[in-house]
Amino acid sequence: MNLNPLEKRKLVKKKLRKLEGLPTFPPIVQRLNLMIEDEDSSIYQIAELIEKDQVITTKILKLANSAFYGFPKKVSTVQNALMLLGVNVVKVLIVTSSIFEIIYREDVGLWEHSIGVASCSKILAERVGLKDPQEVATTGLLHDLGRIVQRVTFKEDYKKILELVKNGKDPLQAEKEVLGIDHAEIGSFLMRTWNLPDRLVETVDAHHDLKRTKKFKKEAAVIHLSDILIHVRGYGTSLYQKIPPLQQEALKVLKLNLFEIKDIFFKLEPRLYELKFFTEELRREMEVSS
Amino acid sequence: MQRLPLSYIKPGMKTYEEVIDANGRVLCGKGVELTADHIKRFEEFGVSFVTVEGNPVKLPWEKDLEEELKELEKRFEGITDENLLEIKRLFKEFLIEKYQESQSSENNSNENKE
Repeated sequence: MNLNPLEKRKLVKKKLRKLEGLPTFPPIVQRLNLMIEDEDSSIYQIAELIEKDQVITTKILKLANSAFYGFPKKVSTVQNALMLLGVNVVKVLIVTSSIFEIIYREDVGLWEHSIGVASCSKILAERVGLKDPQEVATTGLLHDLGRIVQRVTFKEDYKKILELVKNGKDPLQAEKEVLGIDHAEIGSFLMRTWNLPDRLVETVDAHHDLKRTKKFKKEAAVIHLSDILIHVRGYGTSLYQKIPPLQQEALKVLKLNLFEIKDIFFKLEPRLYELKFFTEELRREMEVSS
Repeated sequence: MQRLPLSYIKPGMKTYEEVIDANGRVLCGKGVELTADHIKRFEEFGVSFVTVEGNPVKLPWEKDLEEELKELEKRFEGITDENLLEIKRLFKEFLIEKYQESQSSENNSNENKE
């Protein structure tokens, strides 16, 4: 069956809406949502709920302690994580926790790319004075979610995309040709289906094309530039074999002078060391558990 | 420069930047040769990573400057955007400074040995 991109696009969205081939949510998510909506619940109560689930607790603490957030001291309790990361970020991490494992398992290069972008986004967000750098880092972590969905849920199409990219086609163009939709839109579509906050959804949607957001231009510009800087650094891999195109607008939106970027590289480097050790640790844990 | 887990840190290594605890308190300055006492103190204050001068530990994923520069050129093949080329120039400066630091720190420790 050969569908044109528009028909294909509809089919992709239908599949995504049903979450076909994607991990199910941890059962805790629904109760957590209710509790977060209820203004009377305290951080202590939310922590208590999360701690009932040992697997989720372990995952959350592991992520909270990763270098992309860069807390100097160990985050040892859920309550601590809630206070440092904010309730919303912790919720996002719980909802997406199984995705991270899939990224790591399926494509270590993309995993390294994602955590690299998260780390760089945090540094840039702080530099330009965005008010929630942890949330921006979390968006960085998820920015290529659509890519892993392509790989896991649309295997055959993904192979075609890879083939086109190998022959020199721009990755975004290749995705649109094969699936009728690119990874930025797939990722944001799924995140919206999961009820994640708008700021994250729109930022992921616009991370290759800043025109796609009005409200969260700065956030999107941070992710866009981080994506490029991590490619320049050569940390991890993505579909881009060369440096992806830079949108000039990103520098304007962030009011960043190019010469400041050297300092960003200096700030980033120690974090990348930590991330390598983190990834090594994950590898050992996976080997033990498999 | 290398940033290493505390378990890799040995007396005699020199700090590349300040060592800071969770409350932003400076536990140790920059350019200090570490002693066993320092390391014990870091443990007590829950420090998990320390950035040290040079390349005291051989890490399998680390590349030398020549390799880094070669791969960088490959990643930039065909790129003509002026802003990107400027970012490349800045990144090269960063790389060269990073490796110079490693070099000079190595020379220093050789001198110390002699």
